[in-house]
Amino acid sequence: MAERAGHLPGLDPASLRWEMLTFGRTGTTLAVEVPVLGGEYSTRLAAPVRSEAAEHLRAQPVARVVEAVDAAVARLLDRQDPYRRKMEDVLPAVTGYDREMVRLGLTQYLQTFRKPELLRFLAEDFANPTILDDFQPLPKGGFGRAFGPPVLAHIWAGNVPGLPLWSLASGLLVKAGNVGKVPSDEPLFATWFAQLLAEVAPDLAGCLAIVWWRGGEEEPERALLQAADLTLGYGGNESLAAIQARMPVGKRFLAYGHKVSFGMIAAAALDPAKAAATARLAAYDVARYDQQGCFAPHVFFVERGGAVPPQTFARYLAHELAAFEARYPRRGLTLAEAGSMAAWRHQEELSAAGEVLGDPAGAWSVSYHGNGAGFAPSALNRAIRVVAVDALAEVPALVAPYRTLLQTVGIAAPPRDLFRLAAALGEAGVTRVAALGDMTAPEAGWHHDGRFNLADLVQITEIDGRAEAAADRLADYAD
Amino acid sequence: MVYDRIVADLLDFIAADQPGEDAFNALALKLFAHQFEHNQPFAKFARARGKTPRTVKHWADIPAVPINAFKTLDLTCCPPEQAAAVFMTSGTTQGGLRGKSYHATLDVWDASMRRNFAERFMRGRERMAMGILFPDEAMLPNSSLAHYLSLAVRDFGTPASGHLIGPDGIDFERLTTDLARAEETGEPYALLGASFSLVHAMDALQAPGRSFHLPPGSRILDTGGFKGQSRELELDEFYDTLSESFGVPRADCINMYGMTELSTQFYDDGNAVCPSVKSGPHWIRSRVVNPLTGAAVPKGDTGVLAHTDLAHFNIVTTILTEDAGIEVDGGFLLLGRVAGAEAQGCSMAVDEFLSAAGAA
Repeated sequence: MAERAGHLPGLDPASLRWEMLTFGRTGTTLAVEVPVLGGEYSTRLAAPVRSEAAEHLRAQPVARVVEAVDAAVARLLDRQDPYRRKMEDVLPAVTGYDREMVRLGLTQYLQTFRKPELLRFLAEDFANPTILDDFQPLPKGGFGRAFGPPVLAHIWAGNVPGLPLWSLASGLLVKAGNVGKVPSDEPLFATWFAQLLAEVAPDLAGCLAIVWWRGGEEEPERALLQAADLTLGYGGNESLAAIQARMPVGKRFLAYGHKVSFGMIAAAALDPAKAAATARLAAYDVARYDQQGCFAPHVFFVERGGAVPPQTFARYLAHELAAFEARYPRRGLTLAEAGSMAAWRHQEELSAAGEVLGDPAGAWSVSYHGNGAGFAPSALNRAIRVVAVDALAEVPALVAPYRTLLQTVGIAAPPRDLFRLAAALGEAGVTRVAALGDMTAPEAGWHHDGRFNLADLVQITEIDGRAEAAADRLADYAD
Repeated sequence: MVYDRIVADLLDFIAADQPGEDAFNALALKLFAHQFEHNQPFAKFARARGKTPRTVKHWADIPAVPINAFKTLDLTCCPPEQAAAVFMTSGTTQGGLRGKSYHATLDVWDASMRRNFAERFMRGRERMAMGILFPDEAMLPNSSLAHYLSLAVRDFGTPASGHLIGPDGIDFERLTTDLARAEETGEPYALLGASFSLVHAMDALQAPGRSFHLPPGSRILDTGGFKGQSRELELDEFYDTLSESFGVPRADCINMYGMTELSTQFYDDGNAVCPSVKSGPHWIRSRVVNPLTGAAVPKGDTGVLAHTDLAHFNIVTTILTEDAGIEVDGGFLLLGRVAGAEAQGCSMAVDEFLSAAGAA
């Protein structure tokens, strides 16, 4: 039987029309049924999600929500669990990523959502997380309580499996009812998570709905934006601009657009004992999910003056990418992706002052630019540019013009340089500095694009400091 | 002189009667060697792929140059300033950069056009009355299509033929007069032009509810697609409407597939069924390839079209297009631009990237 996407509390599946999406990147064809939902369904789903959340979620202490998400994640970390097995079986076929890469990636990623990590999410944004449960004293005086949106809409993109869990977990922690729209590229992860949460915490089953429509379809999207109190959107500028244009006046939209990340490698990381390991870490950041995430590197800036010169480092990197290809092969490319890759390689040949190294079958490519300039987006799918610079201190100025697009920097440098460079990079617009090799696996509670995962979702209701005194005067025990 | 001999060889080859695979291969390799010697950017491109006249023994191994390269490189064997003509693409993508093809002479281009056009469009007629829905060469001196259509009028049109587009757009009065005259006299009429201009013409005729019934033997040639310049029509709808508006059967509505980066065109044998099978004459060969590896995809699979056009001798013979296609018996099906090649992946990112820098 075909997998079915969607979690539609209160709707009878038999009453819906289902459409078939087929996935065939890996050679085996997989069919997934998705519900065809007109605009009226967005409204029909949002209303019960709102009331269910009001009844079952908003009155719960946040600690109880943490327990529920932790219980669901624990199931997904258990490789014998039927949901986990389904993820390991089906996600490679849907996304095209190598099985082993998906398996390792899932485990690493899910660990970010266990109880200790969820507490970290909370601690990161709220000095006192019980502010989500009750009014707490504010430093300025008075009391405050944080309310998540009664209904939070999520419009997800399909580049990396599991991505929806970031915002779903965030939504649950602030006790929002959630309606998530899955992309056609990967409609299943969020579906399964919702089903699993309903199993481990049946009272929360109605607090989230997972819907689908074809990307950019206007009517259901408009209805969802109207029905939700706050919307989170992921994707390219064009689709985000389309959502923005449909936002009802007065409602908030938090957009997470495409970003460009890069790496920086100091001469100190290029001594003969360390250079090969450095190249392996760099290659890992390139190979993991084939650069599809916003945190994946497009360029490595490599400092001159190390024992291994930048051009040689480019060859080391090529060697490591070849090794990754043998162990975790890149996913099959669509015709359009193959065309983009061919165009990228050709453009690199024209512009590179050095050389272009590539696997003849096109599984990976490394270009070398010896002239310092050359910050530009990669064709992704394991295409990376190495740019030689005399000193890493030059890099912030090279990337500063692209301020709005910058996100993660993977860095291999000694401690003093780490902090000095981080200051200059932050000034240029970079929001995350990670170790080389960790670029694609952000920590729990990281500030996505420099923003607050939870604090951005809530609004604070304040009890003015003087209101308490005024109330005191009205107490029946007042003198 | 080497150059004159190449031109003479090519003219002979184009005029020959089905010269066969070996002759095609021999001439293709000769042209590859010529281009490798005189076209420096191409030689660099070929060398980077390990392809030299020493290693390439079959025309299919000649490295295919992506059409994007025509925007940044002067791919020519003669110095650009000595070119007899420069044809340029419209420059609607990639920041307005235009792809350029330098022609040392137009003799070969013209011979290629004439023989092919006579067979595939004229189908045995010497001359006929033609209306051209495209600007003339004076208005668009760097347009290969303007040159093509002007040649059609000059070498295959009767004196009554002419351009129906001027500086002020389509001359509807002349169009309706021409069509009405053809209806009256029973002399076949040929309407040729950009696909989107034909849409504009049909829309304008439809407004007052006019339709024509051109006499038997009349035909229509459309080329280039809609390019966002007119309504986008499904192919079946387009040819149905063409057929209804002008009374020309779909089998006599011929689509020409040509490119600035080629000196030879492809035609179908009418569009009674869409998508139609496209094919070219004996001096051009097409392959359907994986764009990344350049290897041919299995027959019947979708890939990207690569063409080896001997007539494009001054530039490069073999180009890699951005058009998706499927090899079929007797030619290929053209499926349009590779889906999303502009809209996602690297080029989209490049656009976003550049605009981010512009905003900073």
